Amino acid sequence: MNYTETENKIPLIAIAGQPNSGKTTLFNLLSGRNSKTVNYPGSTVEYSVAPLLPKFSLKAKVIDSPGIISLVPSSIDEKISIDTLYSHPELGKPDVIIVTVDASQLSRHLFIALQLIESKFKIVVVLTMTDLLLKKNFNISAKKLSETLKCDVVKLDNRTGNGVNEIVKSVNKILVSSHNVSEVHFHSHPSFDKDDLLLNSYDAIGQIEKDVLYKVQSQLSETELLKANEKLVVLNSEPAFLKPDELTLKLDRIFLHKFWGLIIFFIVMFILFSSIFYVAAPIMDLVSEGISLLSGYTVTLLGDTWYGNLISQGVINGVGSVLVFLPQILILFLLLGLFEDSGYLARGAMLIDKPLSLIGLNGRSFVPMLSGFACAIPAIMATRTIPNRRERLLTIFIIPLMSCSARLPVYALLIAFLIPADKPVLGGLVLTFIYVISVFSSVLIASIIHKIVSKYSRRKDSSFILELPAYRKPKLSNVIRNSYRNARHYIVKAGPVILMLSLLIWVLTYFPNTEPQVDETGKTADEIILLKNSERVATSFAADLGKMIEPVMKPLGLDWRVGVSLIAAFAAREVFVSSLALIFKVTDDGDLQNSILSSMRNATFRDSDQKVFTISSTAGLIVFFVFALQCISTLAISRKETGSWKVPMVQLFVFTLLAYIAALITVTGFRFFGMA
Amino acid sequence: MKTAADLKVNETAIIKRIDRSHPSYRRLLEIGFTPGQEITLLNRTLFNDPISFSIRGTIFAIRKEEASHIFI
Ligand SMILES: Nc1nc2c(ncn2[C@@H]2O[C@H](COP(=O)(O)OP(=O)(O)OP(=O)(O)O)[C@@H](O)[C@H]2O)c(=O)[nH]1
Ligand SMILES: [Mg+2]
Repeated sequence: MNYTETENKIPLIAIAGQPNSGKTTLFNLLSGRNSKTVNYPGSTVEYSVAPLLPKFSLKAKVIDSPGIISLVPSSIDEKISIDTLYSHPELGKPDVIIVTVDASQLSRHLFIALQLIESKFKIVVVLTMTDLLLKKNFNISAKKLSETLKCDVVKLDNRTGNGVNEIVKSVNKILVSSHNVSEVHFHSHPSFDKDDLLLNSYDAIGQIEKDVLYKVQSQLSETELLKANEKLVVLNSEPAFLKPDELTLKLDRIFLHKFWGLIIFFIVMFILFSSIFYVAAPIMDLVSEGISLLSGYTVTLLGDTWYGNLISQGVINGVGSVLVFLPQILILFLLLGLFEDSGYLARGAMLIDKPLSLIGLNGRSFVPMLSGFACAIPAIMATRTIPNRRERLLTIFIIPLMSCSARLPVYALLIAFLIPADKPVLGGLVLTFIYVISVFSSVLIASIIHKIVSKYSRRKDSSFILELPAYRKPKLSNVIRNSYRNARHYIVKAGPVILMLSLLIWVLTYFPNTEPQVDETGKTADEIILLKNSERVATSFAADLGKMIEPVMKPLGLDWRVGVSLIAAFAAREVFVSSLALIFKVTDDGDLQNSILSSMRNATFRDSDQKVFTISSTAGLIVFFVFALQCISTLAISRKETGSWKVPMVQLFVFTLLAYIAALITVTGFRFFGMA
Repeated sequence: MKTAADLKVNETAIIKRIDRSHPSYRRLLEIGFTPGQEITLLNRTLFNDPISFSIRGTIFAIRKEEASHIFI
């Protein structure tokens, strides 16, 4: 018999358990979703809800939750997380909780299962990572565990999905039988706050562990072990203690080595950021050429009319100039993903905890900061795993300084302008250097704020306790899927903004003088078009607008056209590139990027022959982008996570001012050393 | 009294008790650092801080300051 909607409410199944226990993996199996699963404790920070796949023929909603260590919260964010488990703000109390228990770390993971049972939740225990348990030469009896806990226990093989059907069956059984639901005890449950009881439950767990775990023959290969599974010979009835994974212990000797550990850390970071530049280059050229071809076709097709112009310039070149950089962004996501799933990130967090703690941050700030290089929005959300509030706020504050992927298009273009194309090594170095500046400046700013704040209050409840998960070969398919999803997200979210602003800028640069009068004598048709283009822009609305901000741009050695682009970039940074492409009226010879570059090389100030883009002004622009907070979404998420507009407004003001001053210093410095 | 922070690399000991007044006391118990449990110090990083321990089949990195409130 299947549970039906007799109670006019679709049943709610929550998945809960310790961090990194395989909750999201199970959630994906049950719902067919593609949520990010990664080998780092704390990868999920938000609740997500999805209906159960139709193939399970059970109408229910399933919730994925952030990992919890105990039902007694030890930080505000943990409290929110636990409260949501007890009662989801929209969906209410879950009817069943599926508890994922990492079988290779049985005792620690049973702890939360026991607490949930004590809170009178109806639970189904799912044993994950049984393959890792077998590697440790142990196996587990689900039957015995089920008898002891008095709830269903299912082994899940996440590679084949074996066990999912049993899980749904067990859930269904509970739903059918629990028409007269007993009230759930809230976590003010008296026993949870008593240490003795906490110790008692660990004693009980110790006993359970002895009963359900048994040692198995070790000489078999992993696949044989998996095949043999339950039927393995019990070699030793003596209880033995679970030990960490052997390979992990060996690798940690190297990766956490006093000296080599740090060297490897820096090398890994260097490879990560410099390869973004090298690996992507050939793919980018292809995309770039494709877009120019397309834009060229439209011009031939529609002629030099306003609509031909609108489509080839406003739409294709505008949006295309940003799309060119998609390969770089994809590669960044791919590398970060590989890295995350290997289990190394937790080591990175450990290695860098001490230095970070000196500037008011925490080892747990490392992963959010690193993901800030992809995008500030998930990065700011990831700070929820930092228990100390002050450390968390400080991490949120500096995350916009991490050079996010939206800045890549801008840097790549400006670097391509500075560095000749035949010196790609130098280009990669400059990009790496930009990343280094971004890290250094964030460290500097964090330490200044830390100094100021600790003058006024000296609370010291900072802590760093982090599980170091076993190393694993990254699951390539997972990583690729994650990167694809991120890249698609990038296009879907940024795409419309870029398109709309591109169109707006096109309008501003095309009107009102649509048919400018130029001296055509002795000029070829192409030259006439070029001349008309520049005359049209020079007398456009954008020019009027730009002249107002020219006084601010002048000291940076830039003209109004760059100023307009910079303002447009406050909506989203990538728009800077498309805006340049439009304002400098890219004509298509060769590929799109090269034609933007050549227009930049030829650009001069209105009233003189002086070039706009020089070494000094371009370097100044790069520096401006390093600091400026030009992203509306970042401000919004910062408000949401900090609870008020205070932090985002301070961020906007401080970082923009800083950007301008730093750019000014750079430009002046370069000029001083004779590099105009 | 000897604490977990005094262990040498690869040295194993049994936890006697954890300082109750320490802010991380509860969290340490919850993650399985309970009296009577065996812990092994695995790695000390450059600054000797944090330190990684193996306990109940899991590896944890904790700060030296926290480890020095775990008595062995
Ligand atoms: N070997 C093995 N790996 C698994 C198994 N289940 C999940 N994983 C991997 O374990 C890691 C963590 O899985 P997730 O599903 O992200 O875990 P989670 O509980 O959602 O973690 P948080 O969101 O951080 O709390 C991922 O790298 C998974 O690919 C399993 O049964 N065996
Ligand atoms: Mg998860």
